[in-house]
Amino acid sequence: MKWFWYSILTVIGWAGWALFLKIGSVEIPSEPALFFQTLGTLPLAVALLAAGTVRGPQNRRGIVYSLLIGILTGVGILFLLAAYRLGGNTAVVSVTTALYPVVTIALAVTLLREKLTQRQVLGLGLSLVSIVLFSL
Amino acid sequence: MHIAPWLLYTILALSFFGIVGFLQKLSTDLLSAESALVWLTVGFVLMEPFLYSGTSMFHYSARSITFVVAGGLLNALGSWALLAAMKNGGKASVVVPMTAVYPMVVCVVAPLLLKEHLTSIQAAGMACGMGAIFLLAS
Repeated sequence: MKWFWYSILTVIGWAGWALFLKIGSVEIPSEPALFFQTLGTLPLAVALLAAGTVRGPQNRRGIVYSLLIGILTGVGILFLLAAYRLGGNTAVVSVTTALYPVVTIALAVTLLREKLTQRQVLGLGLSLVSIVLFSL
Repeated sequence: MHIAPWLLYTILALSFFGIVGFLQKLSTDLLSAESALVWLTVGFVLMEPFLYSGTSMFHYSARSITFVVAGGLLNALGSWALLAAMKNGGKASVVVPMTAVYPMVVCVVAPLLLKEHLTSIQAAGMACGMGAIFLLAS
């Protein structure tokens, strides 16, 4: 059941991230806030390196994808911080940004020719309804 | 339909996180999860020179800086714990939907901690959004 507690830790970590970022962003503008939040991510990367978990030959294309992930996540967080600073309700912003699989699925369907399940189609429909309701 | 600026930025954040989700799929086919996590942190760090605006940055209150740095740490910890859950026998089909409920914790804690209130339309939108998260993650 170790996996269960790790999953709970993920929920606590990400929920704490959303709340702490909102509290800090009341005073700190988006760019410096992202600068400081990146400082917070460093200890884990250093710990993973120190623990020797990153070994062996590294695929160059994989590295490029991962670097892009870091940069695009950073840009995404800049927009998230801007939404917080413009008075977006923390709970509403968190739920809306957690709808990101909509975009992932759209890309996977168009670029990787993956098929959608019925549940995913329903999920896509509900996420659109949700965004329309927030815009009212 | 008028879109509030905060919602526009939220949709932009959602779009970027969505592209990230797609790239994660491609990168973890080629690298171990730990390597991917380290390299994405390098990607984060590459942005630092563009974000650094001089020593005036350190004039913000220690409280706000602590919250944002701690936020970054919690984000990384959450991502690591997700990988650890899968490594320790958790099935992706169970772990991913389970961890996708984190906005629910925010929904419960934010009104208490930040004294924010929801309108009835926002509450309906959140209910649809949570339903969508469950369905998309499953």
